[in-house]
Amino acid sequence: MSRIKSNLPRVLGTVAAVTLSAMVGGQAWAQEIAIGAVVPSSGPFAEWGRSNTVTLKMLEQQTNDAGGINGAKLKITILDDAAKPAQAASSLRKLAGDEKVLAVAGPLTSSAAEVTFPVANEMKVVSTSQASSKPGVAKLNRPWAFRNTIDEGVLAKTTVPFYKKAFNIKTVAVIFDAKDATASTVGKVIMPAVLKANDIIVANENDLLSFNTGDLDVSAQVTKLKALNPDGVVVSADYSQAITVLREMKRQGLIKPVVGATQLISSAILKAAPEIPVIAPATFYATMTGPAPEKFTATLTPLLRKESGLPKDIEPSMYDANIYEIVSMYIDAIKKTGVTGKPADLEADRTKIRDHLAKLEGFAGLGGPIGFNDDGDAIKAFYVLQGQNGAWDTKVKGCSSAPGHPAC
Amino acid sequence: MLIQQLVNGLTLGAVYTLLALSFSLVMGILGILNLAIAELFMIGGYLGFTLITAGFPLPVAVLGGMLGAAVIAIAIEKIGYQPLRDAPLVTPMLSTLGFSIILQNVATNIWGSDPAQLPDEYFGKQYAFGPVNIGEMQLIVLVATVVLVALVAYIVQKTPMGRALRAVAENREVARILGVSADRLTMLAFILSGSLAGVAGVLIALHYGTITPYLGVEIGLKAIAVMVIGGTRQIWGALVAGPLIGIAEVLTVAYGGSQVRDFVVYGFMILILLLRPQGLLGGARSDQGQRV
Repeated sequence: MSRIKSNLPRVLGTVAAVTLSAMVGGQAWAQEIAIGAVVPSSGPFAEWGRSNTVTLKMLEQQTNDAGGINGAKLKITILDDAAKPAQAASSLRKLAGDEKVLAVAGPLTSSAAEVTFPVANEMKVVSTSQASSKPGVAKLNRPWAFRNTIDEGVLAKTTVPFYKKAFNIKTVAVIFDAKDATASTVGKVIMPAVLKANDIIVANENDLLSFNTGDLDVSAQVTKLKALNPDGVVVSADYSQAITVLREMKRQGLIKPVVGATQLISSAILKAAPEIPVIAPATFYATMTGPAPEKFTATLTPLLRKESGLPKDIEPSMYDANIYEIVSMYIDAIKKTGVTGKPADLEADRTKIRDHLAKLEGFAGLGGPIGFNDDGDAIKAFYVLQGQNGAWDTKVKGCSSAPGHPAC
Repeated sequence: MLIQQLVNGLTLGAVYTLLALSFSLVMGILGILNLAIAELFMIGGYLGFTLITAGFPLPVAVLGGMLGAAVIAIAIEKIGYQPLRDAPLVTPMLSTLGFSIILQNVATNIWGSDPAQLPDEYFGKQYAFGPVNIGEMQLIVLVATVVLVALVAYIVQKTPMGRALRAVAENREVARILGVSADRLTMLAFILSGSLAGVAGVLIALHYGTITPYLGVEIGLKAIAVMVIGGTRQIWGALVAGPLIGIAEVLTVAYGGSQVRDFVVYGFMILILLLRPQGLLGGARSDQGQRV
């Protein structure tokens, strides 16, 4: 009897633990839903990575304040890849293997996506890039790779005709960042082909000008551009590199309209040479009108401006909108497909999210409905914008699919 | 176009010259490669940029960039060099590499990774000489480079301080026995080198009208190549090798393509290391830099 008495607390403790464990095990959903994200919070695209981080934290709080996902708390684990492909791949491996996340948002660049998407396939976890737009990157890594972006080839087919008509362009000269995967493809392959199809002569067709990421001096290239005397200039580079080109164009007095890819869209580029018109496509921009984008911008802007290491006048970028939509689509999938978030169901849960995305049509994104095509790229509306004198202005609306698709 | 490209090359060469001189002050006198100099150049640039946009005149911006970089150079000497002076050669170099990465991170956190841009009103005048355009800042950079190289050469070759620096460079222990304070002069070499990098940073940032935290790495590596080509112990070597590399780089980009640019610059450096390790202006073969 005394033995039983002395063991009573231990027995009761064991019974309580077993009961609690059974209760938890019997629940339909886990206490926490884990999503991962890979963003470049350091390195050359740190601005994008840091604003992506603020965006995800905002979404996490909004979701949890609204009661979570099927009662479970949303937890977004964000890792920094410094825009380095190898680091992006190991971050995804860590998120999928150690953190057991259900899906991953990111990585941001095409260079990182090219290396990370095969790992996503190997780990059987959905990875959706918020910025990669080099043609075919997701297509090569089906079925787990997705991109909430539109192929630059599709965008150029609407952008170039507008550029030609608006500025009466007959000849252009091309300059691109040779070390950036997307910029290089757009500058060397996509733009020359689309320009040719629109009867625009590329003055340096056999001698396309290039520079390397990080170059501050592009004076030699701009002197050469000026000597070609084109009607316009194709600048294929991310906005931070394009700023260097625009500043040098202005310094050398080469004031000609510029056309480029989505990489040019930023508020910073508008300050580089306000008198030079910049034409580029985008799926979202901070001054976009409509209830969803206006609410998103109004909520996110003060949070971004409060964050140390971000400019005081920063506005949400297209990539903030894209990553917000990506995680929102994951949440939608989790809610609608019976994802439990329990460790035992991890593989099945990941598959449910993948299949939901693959069949997705008409998801309410910030810039309009979103779906995915068979290549894993987003079907969504886009806009051709003209940046001049400090502001972006919408000129043309397009869609990345044939007319009639729900996303258009 | 060729004349314009030569002007472009001379300006770029002036950038390399100023930074190469900073490297060679520490390398030639103390025999160590201070890899943080490239980031002192970048920090100097940001400080100058900040002062200019706050409305201060150019001389104040230059002074601010110079002082800021000099103060950081003192910290590097005290923390990253002095305690490791007797360690194997690679140790202080790795320590300065650590400083370099820290400085880049600090700059990213303070000023962000987006390029900082100078407002239009600071762009400066452009002078057209026929088909050639030369900017006001471009002229300032070219003149300042010649003046600064001459000033440093004068300090190192003609003043008692310079003689003491050279004595330390020849033999630290003998210099100490002769009453020269080696520690004080080492600090002085770091301050001079840091100040020069700071001035260079301000001038270059203002010339291009934009700056990023990653500016130092690319230009710093080229400046090291310029230092090697000119001769690590030759002050005037940088003034010859800088424009040479600047013009070679610009002409390669203009007539060959940027994809072969680095091949030309670093290929030339390797060639010099193999055939004339003392550099273009080095005298005897024994005049080569003591250690890298």
